[in-house]
Amino acid sequence: MNHYALPPAGAYPLNKCLFRLKSDDGFRARFVKEPERVMAEAGLSPEERAALAAQDRDRLVALGAHPYLVFMAQFRLRMETDESAFEYF
Amino acid sequence: MPLVAAAACAHTPQLLVRPPTEDRDLVLRVHAAFARVKALLAATRPDAIAVVAGDHIEGFFLNAVPALGVFVGAECAGKFGRYDYRFRVHEPLARAILEDGIERGFDLLYSQEIPLDYAFFVPLHFTLPEPAPPIVPLFVNVYLPPQPTPRRCYQWGEALARFLAGRPERVALLASGGMSHFPGTDRYASPDFEFDRQLLERLKQGRGRELTRLTGADLDTAGNIELRTWLVLLGAVGDARADLFCYEPSWHHGNAVVAWSV
Repeated sequence: MNHYALPPAGAYPLNKCLFRLKSDDGFRARFVKEPERVMAEAGLSPEERAALAAQDRDRLVALGAHPYLVFMAQFRLRMETDESAFEYF
Repeated sequence: MPLVAAAACAHTPQLLVRPPTEDRDLVLRVHAAFARVKALLAATRPDAIAVVAGDHIEGFFLNAVPALGVFVGAECAGKFGRYDYRFRVHEPLARAILEDGIERGFDLLYSQEIPLDYAFFVPLHFTLPEPAPPIVPLFVNVYLPPQPTPRRCYQWGEALARFLAGRPERVALLASGGMSHFPGTDRYASPDFEFDRQLLERLKQGRGRELTRLTGADLDTAGNIELRTWLVLLGAVGDARADLFCYEPSWHHGNAVVAWSV
C-alpha cells in the first residue's frame, strides 16, 4: 500500500496551508490567533476548514492532504503553543 | 581523491528538540553515536562535507519537485523553532558536481536560494567538527511520489564517487535519513524494525549493491522512503562494509547511525 502519494491538484490550497503552518513562522502565529480568518484567506473549503480546525488527521488526508504535512503542521503548532513540551531533557 | 569518510545518520527532529514523548536514554545513546561520526569527521579533515538528504517538503513544495538536486549558493540556512542554522557552501565543488552530473546524464535541479530542511541540519548539529568545513547539500525527493528509483539513486552515488575521486578536495559523504518510520499515518507507532535489522546485516557484510533490487513500493511498505539517501551513499562506497554505530528503535522510529570504511 502507498503511505504517501502525490496529492490531488484540488487539494493544493489545503496542502499549501499545511505547508505554511509547518514552515512559515508568521503564518503559523496568525493561524493560532485567528484560525478562521487565516483559513478563509488560504482559500480552504468549509469541509477543509472544519477538518483543519479539529486537527482531524484522517479527514484531512481523505480530503487530499499529504500525511507528512499534516503531521509536521501539528508538531509545529504544538511547539508554538506549548513550549514546555520541548527541551524536556 | 576518493572519499575520506562516509556515514549515514537518522535525523528525526525529536533528537534535536527532545519532547517528553521520547525515551531520554535512547536519545542520548543516539547522540553518543553522532559524537562518533563527529570524531570521524574531525579525524579525516574533510575540505567539504557533501550531505545527501531528503527534503521534507521544506525547500520544495508542490510548486516544483525535483528528483535530485544540488544547492549551489554561497551559503544556506534553515530554521526549526528556535534552532536556526547557517552553513557555508563549498561553491566551487557544488558547481563542479552539478556540471559533471549534468554531463553524465543526471538532469539535476539546482538552486542558489531555498531553505534548508532539518534533514540536513539535525545531523550537522551533532556531527559538524570544529572548525566547520563548508558543505554541499544534495537533494533527493523522498516524500512526494513519484520519487527516483533506488537504482537511480545508487547510480547517482556511483557517478558522484567517480567524479570526486578525480577532484583535489578531501570530501566526506553524509547521508541523512531513515530508518523505518511512518509520520502522519496509522503506522506511526509501529515501524518495521525487522526490515531495518535485516538490511543493516546486509550492509555490515558489504552487500549494499543488493538494495538496488528494492522497488519504491518496497521502501514505502517498510517505512523506508528515506533510504534513497542511503542508496546514493551506497553507490558511492560500493561494497565497503558498514560499521554500525547504533540502531535504536524508538516507539516511532528506527534510529540508525552507520559509518563505512572507505
